[in-house]
Amino acid sequence: MQDVPAAGAAESSSTTSSGLLMRMVRAVGWTLIWLGLLTLGFVAHQLWVTSWLSERNQGELSANRVEYNETAKITEVEYVPGVIDDATGQLVPGSAGGEPRTLLSEAAPSLGQPFALIRIPKVDRLTEGWTVVEGVRLADLRTGAGHMPTTPLPGQPGNAVISGHRTTYGAPFHELDVLVPGDTIEVETALGTHVYVVRESFIVKPTDVWVTNPLPGAWLTLTTCHPTFSARERLIIQAELVEGPNAVAIYGLQ
Amino acid sequence: MRRIFRALPGPLPIRIVEAVVLLAVVLVVLHFFYSWLGTTFLDPGGTVG
Repeated sequence: MQDVPAAGAAESSSTTSSGLLMRMVRAVGWTLIWLGLLTLGFVAHQLWVTSWLSERNQGELSANRVEYNETAKITEVEYVPGVIDDATGQLVPGSAGGEPRTLLSEAAPSLGQPFALIRIPKVDRLTEGWTVVEGVRLADLRTGAGHMPTTPLPGQPGNAVISGHRTTYGAPFHELDVLVPGDTIEVETALGTHVYVVRESFIVKPTDVWVTNPLPGAWLTLTTCHPTFSARERLIIQAELVEGPNAVAIYGLQ
Repeated sequence: MRRIFRALPGPLPIRIVEAVVLLAVVLVVLHFFYSWLGTTFLDPGGTVG
């Protein structure tokens, strides 16, 4: 008779602790389900929502670019080539001497302004072209590929740098790794179409700003994230101008 | 979800409107959070410097 209350208390305590355990398991289970849903949401957002936003922007940017290029102010400027100083490794403008050459130049666009179209016949998503905007702020790169404002415009002497997303926001530079020396890149601006030929591709750290340094002649440097789905490194494509409104004057050819 | 919906104040039609507004706010917050997460860790746009 004396054992009955003790057994009841033990049973009640066991029921309470098993109830607590069940609640904890349920809470952990729901937490994991929600974390899984949030992660799936993140993947869907990065792959599809950002691309949808970017492609919707491209339509507007394209019309804006055509309008801008029709009204862009084009001037003639004198140009004397430079050579790289052996001591500093930097390009010294005008140091090559010789007769000045006449180049066509367009006014620098304002930040965020779409002003160019980049086409790469070998890259599927760039065969029709992708609009390039002025600036490499996050907001600029969400709409199109971005031209680094501290570098010359495409088609001008020096090293024009264009950056673009590799996996999100339309991923315009997703397949840049297929480019090899000899492949062509076309950039259309208010001056006309500038054709570049890929000379080199390599991987650098995100802090390697030397890839944007001025180069003798006229070059185009494309930068994007590497490897795919990571911001750890940068894939760099360097291409040299071979054809376009300024190619002959820049290289002193007749 | 059901518990949150039941906890919303007002009659059923009002609660439905409140739920839609709440969902929209959550989606907008998630969009900005995911954008920040993506451009910080996954693909900042390929810039150097």
